[in-house]
Amino acid sequence: MSSFLRKLLWLARRSDREAELREELQFHLEEEAEERERDGLAADDARWAARRELGSLAVVAEDTRAAWGWTWLEQFARDAAYGLRQVRRNPSFSGIVIATLALGIGGMTAMFSAFDAVLVRPLPYADADRLVMIWDDMTGERRSGHAPAPAEWLEWRRHQTVFTDLAATQPADATLSGDGEAEQVPARKATASLWSVLGVKPLISRVFREEEDEKGVPVAVISHGLWQRRYGGSPDVVGRKISVNDSPYEVVGVLPREFYFMPARDIDIWMPASFPGWMRRNFTWHDAQVVARLKPGVTLDRAQESMAALSRQVTAKDFRGPHSVAVKPLRGEMAGRTRTALIVLLCASAALLMVACVNLANLLMSRGTARGREVAVRVALGAGRGRLVAQFLTETLVLAALGAMAGAALALPAMRFLETLVPETMGTVRLTLDGRVLAFSAAVAVAVALTAGLLPALQGSRISPQDGLREGGRGTTGSSRNWLQHSLILVELALAVVLLTSGGLLLQTFERLANTDLGLRAERLLTFEMPLFRYDDFPRRVAFVNTQLERIRAVPGVLEAGAISRMPLTPADQATFYLLPGQTEADTPGQVALFRMVTRGYFSTIGARLREGRFFEASDQRSASPAAVVNEAFANRNYPGRSPLGERLKFGQLDEEGYWYTIVGVVERLREVTIAEEPRPAVYLLHEQTDQYQTKGARPSWIVIRTAGEPAAIVPAVRQAIRSGDKNQPIWRVETLEELVDRQLSTPRQTTALMSAFALLALLLASLGIYGVLSYAVGQRTNEIGVRMALGASSGQILLSFGKRGLALTLSGLAIGLGLAAIASRSMSALLYGFRPDYVATVTVVSLVLLAVSAMACLVPARRASRVDPVVALRSE
Amino acid sequence: MRDDAPSRVELLQGTLDLLILRTLRAGPAHGHAIAKHIQRTSEDLLQVETGSLYPALHRLEAKGWIAPSWELSSKGKRARFYRLTPLGRRQLAAERAKWDTFCAAMAMVLNPVDEEA
Repeated sequence: MSSFLRKLLWLARRSDREAELREELQFHLEEEAEERERDGLAADDARWAARRELGSLAVVAEDTRAAWGWTWLEQFARDAAYGLRQVRRNPSFSGIVIATLALGIGGMTAMFSAFDAVLVRPLPYADADRLVMIWDDMTGERRSGHAPAPAEWLEWRRHQTVFTDLAATQPADATLSGDGEAEQVPARKATASLWSVLGVKPLISRVFREEEDEKGVPVAVISHGLWQRRYGGSPDVVGRKISVNDSPYEVVGVLPREFYFMPARDIDIWMPASFPGWMRRNFTWHDAQVVARLKPGVTLDRAQESMAALSRQVTAKDFRGPHSVAVKPLRGEMAGRTRTALIVLLCASAALLMVACVNLANLLMSRGTARGREVAVRVALGAGRGRLVAQFLTETLVLAALGAMAGAALALPAMRFLETLVPETMGTVRLTLDGRVLAFSAAVAVAVALTAGLLPALQGSRISPQDGLREGGRGTTGSSRNWLQHSLILVELALAVVLLTSGGLLLQTFERLANTDLGLRAERLLTFEMPLFRYDDFPRRVAFVNTQLERIRAVPGVLEAGAISRMPLTPADQATFYLLPGQTEADTPGQVALFRMVTRGYFSTIGARLREGRFFEASDQRSASPAAVVNEAFANRNYPGRSPLGERLKFGQLDEEGYWYTIVGVVERLREVTIAEEPRPAVYLLHEQTDQYQTKGARPSWIVIRTAGEPAAIVPAVRQAIRSGDKNQPIWRVETLEELVDRQLSTPRQTTALMSAFALLALLLASLGIYGVLSYAVGQRTNEIGVRMALGASSGQILLSFGKRGLALTLSGLAIGLGLAAIASRSMSALLYGFRPDYVATVTVVSLVLLAVSAMACLVPARRASRVDPVVALRSE
Repeated sequence: MRDDAPSRVELLQGTLDLLILRTLRAGPAHGHAIAKHIQRTSEDLLQVETGSLYPALHRLEAKGWIAPSWELSSKGKRARFYRLTPLGRRQLAAERAKWDTFCAAMAMVLNPVDEEA
């Protein structure tokens, strides 16, 4: 502490100290000179001898100052100030460097902030790293997505040994009414164990309890958002009876603002699951999501093994046969494909930064040669190599710091864009330049200064004063420097090729996704859900749906309207098993088809195409042999090479009393689940003929409307029409099919856009790099070129010799880059959505683009070389 | 020029500090006088480089072993004199003991008693 204070005092009296040191050394010189004079030297000679004996006054002073401590800080400040002066003196050089670094550091900073927010920062649960989700593993590939049955969850919970507890959640619908306008809100049922498994404490009052779950007490926990929006944030909402689906539920608590949980961030009402008796024993009803907390000390692998063994015992009774489970860390499940996208993009931004660094290193090296004389003077005055390296590094650090600041400014708009990349399963994120991100950015700047600055600093400081000061001397020349610059260019080109190839693959995938034939006409198609929970009674429901559709058709601007039980392109299973004549349930385990319940006008409204047969018509009335429309996947699987028309199948209820449906039509490739997924076998039934399904919850609640004009314009009129039938009938999730498609494409679109941006910037920087190195070489060898031309070389030959060098560099960079790209593309296969992009085409295009760009970058300096006037060139020596 | 003096010894690493401290035990002195004193007492065998003398002096000062003051030299010029502090006196004793042990140890290895000459 006292030494710290002393140093501080010294620092304050620094100028005094400097004067004292000068005086002390001056005194020494005089004493020494006097002594030599006494020994018999002439006064002048004695003074010089004393000077020689002392050596460089500056060096002695410097070394002495070093003993004071803290000189490194002063030196750093002096070098930094000098660096800033250099920036101002060479505005164009500094401008290019700072802009390059701003792109590199800014991109990396923005990507880091998104990566950090989605994949690193703690989730709003206690000790979230110990949370896992458990899925049925139907493929043996440990993939997630297959929902377990509540009955499985009960068995697991009873027999498992690796978790402290497990919780299950189930989809639910909630129409709030009574206390205001009827409103449909996202809801979910959950077992009471959910709260303890997640370790979530309510903001107000309490969550529901185990005994409430078991007895089926109608209680609800509401989200912070709903509390604020519908109940004005008033604390007396607790204890209030609210009407959910026309039943009274008591609000027992409010969740904290930051709480959200799978499968969506916007769930407003959580109710006890209270599985009914039949569901507790039925291993065929798969609609749960299961989350569990690992016991302390239990690894993921052990949990996986233990649960797989348990599951095979339990699921012997499942119609899909005994199967394993997949135990997956919660965070990965929440982030989903975004995880891969973020990692790939973070790597891409790092590659771009690396290209920027390499460019900077090259620029600095070229400039280092130009500064040869300055360095030589410093060396002659006694500057040590370490001191020079430190000075160069500090100058680079100044540039990197300025680049990082500009980069932070660039990162902000990029962050707004990246926020939309956060998946809907996770809470919304506001990306900011907070302490973590700024610290990261600063660390990157230092790393940049070290990586880009060290080689040039070592090169630049290796100058002997004799060579450097010689008139007309060229400072460092020689092949080692060329070799170094060439390898840097290779690195740059290879990275650019990797980014371009990856971008090309993503672009192709996106093109394919965007141009996928959805099997319908998406334009001017308005969709929304009209929940039908009030219409359990089959005849009433048929009548209500038909009247509502009639009302909608009467709205001006509506061309056609229909309804379906599940909106196309919504990723949720609604599948049931089926039998063909002659089959029994025992022969055909796992024979499943998606099924959808539609109204008569549905297919014509969405513009579906018929492969053969017909869609549903007015003649399809309730009968003992109802009609079915199947998709091509179903036809090809069950009736390969022949027409399925007139064939019969049993669907839904498979026993003696079940209906036999007759296939009347085959619909062409209609995408039901996601855009990327090839259609699975699907069966469409006419709502009016599905009286067997009344207990199973499938209802044609999704309305589709083909409009004449802009769909948004008729929404109020449609709402009005629906309310005129029932003023408490809510509708929600109103959007056009194009918006729905857009939403599905948003992740691939953003990933592709970012990757393409990184790739193009890398290409630009790499071409600047080639251009810079060749221009420099031309400048260096003007003399030699002059000699060659004087000796009869044609300008074409000169052009060729420089062009060849650029071409050789480009081709080697291309070869290395393509090799690396093959490795990189494997790690991003999740982003290719199962497509097999055309590698050859991508690689060809990338190669051509790179060759064209680098040809231009080479041509300019090469032409300059070919136009050298030998007379001028030789005179310049 | 200096190199042709035949019988000069390089100063061992770290010994300069000890020599300075020992010199100052006789009383305060300025840098030049310290250098000359060492040179003279060693009968010109030890030559103190100015390039290392002043850094060493300032280093010892920073450690608090010697303290500077501006005084008039014998010829009436202002000079920076250094004197030994109590801390420096203790340090000298310690360094001195270390050096003696070192010399004794070197001597034992170089002139073993049981070896015939």
